[in-house]
Amino acid sequence: MNKAQKSKNGNPGLLPFPVIVAATGGDVEAINKVLKHYKGYIIALSTRRLYDEYGNAHLFVDEELRQTLETRLIAKILTFKVE
Amino acid sequence: MRPQSFEERIERQFDTICKQTLKYKARDCYRKIKRQVEREVSFSELSEQDLAQLSVSDEYFKDAYSFNVLGYDITVSDLSLAEALDTLPADRRDIILLAYFLGMKDWEIAERLNLVRRTVAYRRTSTLRELKKFMEGHADE
Repeated sequence: MNKAQKSKNGNPGLLPFPVIVAATGGDVEAINKVLKHYKGYIIALSTRRLYDEYGNAHLFVDEELRQTLETRLIAKILTFKVE
Repeated sequence: MRPQSFEERIERQFDTICKQTLKYKARDCYRKIKRQVEREVSFSELSEQDLAQLSVSDEYFKDAYSFNVLGYDITVSDLSLAEALDTLPADRRDIILLAYFLGMKDWEIAERLNLVRRTVAYRRTSTLRELKKFMEGHADE
């Protein structure tokens, strides 16, 4: 977590309030910031384990799943109400 | 514990909602994938019988019975059905062929055969019953 992503009151892992307001208002730059913030989590969720014919496990990121999650997140951001 | 400011509360709310949304969506997707994996069969694993069901091959007038009604040539490709039709009296058979193979309505048939519509309807249903009896009897043998 770099310093820019830290909230001003020092909570790590939280997006700053102005970014949230801008993102829910549909600001592209702010939405990109939100996506970047949750990128790690999205990738962790879309990592799947596959077994080849010899029974060895392979980890890979399911691109389709990753994009589905990203789209879902954007849709959710836009319905979030700051109140 | 110090009370949360409005901004901090929103920040936390937003974070929770985002994570929750992603988590649930991912769970949905994994369920979908699991369902798919359970039902998916590779082409190479299909039995010959299953494969045959997926394809259709055309057959042209192969072992087909053909009846002539009012100038129309009607071919019946099902052998047992054709045999059953063959045993019927010609006027009854004509009604069945016109109704079910050419898709004519009762009144259309009646017009062409100079009959009353209700006669056609009665003969059609009674012949159908006879046909059923005949074919069921054959199947038992």
